[in-house]
Amino acid sequence: METQVNNKKTNLLKRIMMTRGMGQVITVGSGLIVLCIVFGMINPNFYSSANVTNLLRQIAPILLIGVAQSYVLITGNIDLSIGSVVGMSTMISATLMSKGYMSPIPAMLITLLFCLLIGATNGYLVAKCKLPPFIATLGTMTIARGIAQIVNNNYNTDSIMKFFPEEAQTFKNFFYYGKTAGLYNTIWIAIVFWFIFNFLLSKTRTGRHIYAVGSNIEAARLSGVNIVYTTIKAYLVSAFCACIVGFITCATVGQGTMDAGTGYEMYAVAASVIGGVSTLGGQGILLGTVIGASVWGVLQNGLQFAGAPVAIRNIVVGVIVVMSVLVDIVVRSGRRRKKNVLAKY
Amino acid sequence: MTEYIVEMKQITKSFPGVLALDHVDFSIKPGEVMALLGENGAGKSTLVKILSGVHTRDEGEIYIYGKEHKGDITPVSARELGIAIIHQELNMCSHLSVAENIFLGREICKSGRLAKKEMNNESAKILDRLKIDIHPETIVGNLAISKQQMVEIAKALSTDAKILIMDEPTSALTNKEIKELFSIIRTLRDEGRSIIYISHRLEELQHIVDRVTIMRDGKFVLCDDFANLTMENIISNMVGREIKEKFPRVQCPIGKKILSVKNLNAGRMVRDISFDLYEGEIVGIAGLMGAGRTEMTRALFGIDPKDSGEIFLEDKEVKINKPLDAINNGIVLAPEDRKKDGLCTGLSVRDNIALPNLDIICNKLSVVNHKKETEMVDEATSKFSIKMPNSDVSAASLSGGNQQKVVVAKWLARDSKVVIFDEPTRGIDVAAKVEIYNLMNQLKQQGIGVLFTSSEMPEILGISDRMIVMCDGRITGELNTAEATQNKILEYATRFEKKLESEQSA
Repeated sequence: METQVNNKKTNLLKRIMMTRGMGQVITVGSGLIVLCIVFGMINPNFYSSANVTNLLRQIAPILLIGVAQSYVLITGNIDLSIGSVVGMSTMISATLMSKGYMSPIPAMLITLLFCLLIGATNGYLVAKCKLPPFIATLGTMTIARGIAQIVNNNYNTDSIMKFFPEEAQTFKNFFYYGKTAGLYNTIWIAIVFWFIFNFLLSKTRTGRHIYAVGSNIEAARLSGVNIVYTTIKAYLVSAFCACIVGFITCATVGQGTMDAGTGYEMYAVAASVIGGVSTLGGQGILLGTVIGASVWGVLQNGLQFAGAPVAIRNIVVGVIVVMSVLVDIVVRSGRRRKKNVLAKY
Repeated sequence: MTEYIVEMKQITKSFPGVLALDHVDFSIKPGEVMALLGENGAGKSTLVKILSGVHTRDEGEIYIYGKEHKGDITPVSARELGIAIIHQELNMCSHLSVAENIFLGREICKSGRLAKKEMNNESAKILDRLKIDIHPETIVGNLAISKQQMVEIAKALSTDAKILIMDEPTSALTNKEIKELFSIIRTLRDEGRSIIYISHRLEELQHIVDRVTIMRDGKFVLCDDFANLTMENIISNMVGREIKEKFPRVQCPIGKKILSVKNLNAGRMVRDISFDLYEGEIVGIAGLMGAGRTEMTRALFGIDPKDSGEIFLEDKEVKINKPLDAINNGIVLAPEDRKKDGLCTGLSVRDNIALPNLDIICNKLSVVNHKKETEMVDEATSKFSIKMPNSDVSAASLSGGNQQKVVVAKWLARDSKVVIFDEPTRGIDVAAKVEIYNLMNQLKQQGIGVLFTSSEMPEILGISDRMIVMCDGRITGELNTAEATQNKILEYATRFEKKLESEQSA
């Protein structure tokens, strides 16, 4: 009886270990734990509940844009427009509210529409017009930033509290300042969307097609997968997440700033890649993106606590990105050679 | 109503520069196995790709189940019509599992959620029916090529296809697997399914084939019951008259030994390889798909790491750890995939030829000497009579045969002692092939040792002075031109290790 239970347990463990992409999640996850221990040793306040909740709130938007980029990377493409879409989302929603055109909810809907339009354009240009994704999204990145600048005539907006003080306060609380069950709402938003998109990617047909397109686009096409729709869907998810992060930014600052989200596309690549999403497509899981975003957040926050200036933080994060991919490649080639040797005997 | 399940009439298809199909007729009845025969490049694959929706036709009519199918067939509509194809080149998502590949594009969903368990069970059932021992959750990239092909067959069958196209299904399979496949094919035929069977292995046909359609150079030649035809009939119809001119053979004296490989090991596909190569001879390396020929040339050239072994060049041992070592020692490789490994297709012919020779044509400050470059390029292009408007056109704009010549020309602009060709004639037309053969003969006459791999047995027989047969990463036989026949080569090429084991245990 007891052995049976044991068997079941090992089977579950085995199955978790067998899950694709779990290897890197575990490697980087252990690295994350080491980081936390080291930062805790340097400054015990790192573990204070104030800092932990704050840290999680810092990680949340990075996780969301990480999910955005992971979706696109798994199809074998890249989305450089994420940061600009964040900025565009912030500026459009803030302008609509601060000028008194609309209360937050309709403003958000209009904003979402614009963001999804950028996402759809990205997908269409890449999959249908066969533009290299780097170029296509570089273009939309510039366009979206331009839109962010033009909506309020090249100025940051006034406070969104001006015309709808009550609704705007709810908006700010909902996206940033409020807490539910002891955690900031931002964190909850990230968790909820992570679950939704993780489900979409790992449990639905669309998700499977996204992996297939990234793994072997020709095989996917010959199997009747609609490559254009699948790619567009991935870019739509990306734009959606970026839009939500735009709302979070708007709620945080309480106004729209034109340079919001600058550089986010690269943070998103960092979070994805550290978490084991392959830039060549077909590989990676969103659990990895959680770890990747956490590594990013812990490094920023921990180094800040340790008293390191911004410049040093940037250098460290850059090194970590390169290292994590390098370790993965070395581990993988080692495994391959082992397999060859084994096959020989 | 006709008796045919599929009828294709006067199908024409051209690709840039090639007329792949020229008014071809093809038809198949329900419950029969139809062999589609022809040499490489006869247009067999193109024809079935039109039927399965990979390519679209330029002209011609297609009737399926007696109804005319107007407009193009797409992969999806082909599947709806019950047409499934097992491609010659494996088309699988290597990151996904077996079950995920089998159900790719038509996943089973329950209220929007993938029914993973059901798909795994269903795949297990199909694999079981085919007696294939693979777990449905295995990642396809981790499987051997032959197993991947089995998965591909399972995928085709899982759609309950009425018309099943198999493009060279046995080329990567062992004898035992081939027998299993044939019993599957017979079962499918008895269920009333039609099978279009493309193969180069004529000796297989007698076991399964009902009727035969033969194509040559993109044209329909004949269609008849297999029982009415003899092997000689079939072969002469496939090859036509040209076979004699196809292989220009040049006799020249064999010089001293230049290359000697001893006990080379590199991974699973290169095991204990030993052979010698002499000046002025062409050695052909034969073997089935996946025999390790390409891997051997790659290891020799220093692309893939070697586990052990020695290489002697003119009786001096040389260490080749990277391609540069090989090049510096005078060993060069014209790789299998020209577009991927052989040429920078975005660059001009001139740049391509100059690329490996920049050390010769640059001065001490690493500035390219334009005059020297031009001289080298002109000499190379005239020597190999590369057809092009001028040397500044992009390499991609040339035909396959001329591209191959550029690959060779760029290496021979420097003094090379050994030239390795990996599948030099793959995917080029007959005339260009002859030019490649002439090129190899030319090298041989210059006292260069030529090593080449090929999947086309007539080519190996026709052009090489000596041949080495590989199977499963080992050399299983060596033959002289005089004693070699297709049968002998095939016999060596199928000497799989499993057989040896059973002999030992017996």
